Amino acid sequence: MKANVMYVAIAGLVLMTAGAEAQEKSAAPDLVTRVCSTCHRPRGISTSPMFPHLAAQQAVYLETQLKAFRDRSRADPHAQAFMWGMAAQLTDAAITEIAAYYASQQPAPGKLAGREETAAGKKIYQEGIPAQQVPPCQSCHGDKAAGNGPFPRLAGQHRPYLERQLAAFISNARANEIMHENSKNLTALQISQIAAFLSAQP
Amino acid sequence: MKLRACALAALVVLVAFLVALAASLAPSPATATPGFARQTGLSCAACHSVFPELTPFGRRFKLNAYVFTNVKQLEPVSEQGQKTLSLSDLPPLSVQLQGSNTWLGKALPDNGASAQPTDRSQQNSTQFPQALSLFYTGKIADYLGAFLQLTWNPTPNSVGIDNSDLRFANHSDFESIGVSDFIYGLTLNNNPTSQDVWNSTPAWGYPFLTTNAGVPPIAKVILDGQLAQQSAGLSGYLFLFNRLYLEVGGYRSAQTSFTNATTGGPGPLDSTAPLMRLSGTAAPYWRVAWEQDWDSHSLSVGTYGIVAPTHPTGIGESGPRNTFTDIALDAEYQYLTDNHIFSAYGTWIHELRHFNNVTLVDHPNNTLDTVRFTGSYFFRRKIGGSVQLFSTTGSKDTVLYPSGIAVLGSATGRPDTRGAVFELDFLPWLNTKLGVQYTMYTMFNGKSRNYDGFGRNASDNNTVYVFVWTAF
Repeated sequence: MKANVMYVAIAGLVLMTAGAEAQEKSAAPDLVTRVCSTCHRPRGISTSPMFPHLAAQQAVYLETQLKAFRDRSRADPHAQAFMWGMAAQLTDAAITEIAAYYASQQPAPGKLAGREETAAGKKIYQEGIPAQQVPPCQSCHGDKAAGNGPFPRLAGQHRPYLERQLAAFISNARANEIMHENSKNLTALQISQIAAFLSAQP
Repeated sequence: MKLRACALAALVVLVAFLVALAASLAPSPATATPGFARQTGLSCAACHSVFPELTPFGRRFKLNAYVFTNVKQLEPVSEQGQKTLSLSDLPPLSVQLQGSNTWLGKALPDNGASAQPTDRSQQNSTQFPQALSLFYTGKIADYLGAFLQLTWNPTPNSVGIDNSDLRFANHSDFESIGVSDFIYGLTLNNNPTSQDVWNSTPAWGYPFLTTNAGVPPIAKVILDGQLAQQSAGLSGYLFLFNRLYLEVGGYRSAQTSFTNATTGGPGPLDSTAPLMRLSGTAAPYWRVAWEQDWDSHSLSVGTYGIVAPTHPTGIGESGPRNTFTDIALDAEYQYLTDNHIFSAYGTWIHELRHFNNVTLVDHPNNTLDTVRFTGSYFFRRKIGGSVQLFSTTGSKDTVLYPSGIAVLGSATGRPDTRGAVFELDFLPWLNTKLGVQYTMYTMFNGKSRNYDGFGRNASDNNTVYVFVWTAF
């Protein structure tokens, strides 16, 4: 009787393995379901602000970032800790597929922030800060912060993530000459206000 | 007081830590990477808050059978076009080293527990290494992975199998029936709760590393390591909607280094098998947990348990069985950011014991309860510490908890033991932990003072434990 239990267990293992192989046909790419969704969730709306929302992100931007993780040209601390390993073996075809999938998802709903900081952030986003040589963000990222081609969607993104990226651009931890020039004169308060506004946008 | 010298030594070590901390507060990447890191290219910080505690991502890495990989694979293909192998170019091997010194509150007697404590042994115990382990941890094939550990132990100076887990898992979805996300898997392992992904259950619970040169309390619930590497279990699990974990399985005795008297080989266990062994077809094990993550927080609550019929040494399979039933509750909370990590976990294990071997006990039915609650904090994964309160209480039984044994016995016939653990850690690198741990007993084997009837107090078993723990 005890041997029968073992045989059943082994049979179960064999069946499950076969079943696993047969299951490649879900709507999301296999890699998304199996790996990316662990942090970014199946629809690209992540739980922890450590991991950015990817839902409705610009496909061109996602492809650029995945390639930058793969060749290690993007080197901010979380990129190193998480994404260098994740992207190391990605083929160009896989990158295109993943980017297209997340780009087609419904965007994150946005999370309300304080009224004053949101209003202040909105002003900076739409008008810039001429006195500090900060151009209006919306000139590249769009009036609804939905992004455009290589310029990423910012609307609805996790506030701590946005703050961290702006800090990384300023310090050059994340190498991007344009963003460095645009943001290097921002104060910590202004960064917080911009992030508050953007994270609240649907 | 004898502890003054070791308290002073601990203070010196603490000051050394703080000086080292001041010199190394700048963030630095992990410079050495054990097996999982080699396989995935991920920093230790991806899966661990401070090792070995797991982050929510680390839990999912384990639930996915350790297969996430970014190492080149050897992937031959059959004539029918099917992949027949998926072998990492680089095997995920690593080594773990622990070294320590333990100061005991009062030295042990020289000639074992039966002697009067007049002659005394060394009051402290230095071990380098305390343990040395070789790991294979990672992917074996698509959907199949393992956490395998071989450890050299000073007693009895041999290498043996340690916590090990062979696992199959698949992460999938069934869009057509509205299920967006689930993981299903099977785990074959040799220690109940070693397959668990929360640090509130015994196998991977706090204290993660502790002295092996202390005095063990007289009673432990069966899930508290009594079946570690003495059993083998197979269980199936589901992780639904990224929240609900369900597992059910069974354990059988699989005793290491036992030679069957009839066959001369590792045959079926008989009455000569040392220690306790599980009896019958399988001891059922279950685990249910709910995890809720939001922003930088993670909270989980759960239950687990086992029904373990056993035979002690000397009783054959047809003899009377004793059954240990553990029903446990646990909870874990984590707050995880780059600068601050705060964790709290607790568990309560309630054990019902029914003895058919009535010669072993006063009363055939008794209970044992263990409660542990831990809080810890780390700053930038560099420096921090933990505090744990623990308590084991149980039925009085003068046969099960006998008197007349120096150090290890109980003059009152009670197993009640309680106290606290305080630990301070410094991590110069993500894979290296230097720590000072103070374990303090307010009660031991039933009493605070003269618990064994030979003049030993609970506080005499206090330990100051200094360790280095590294994996590479």
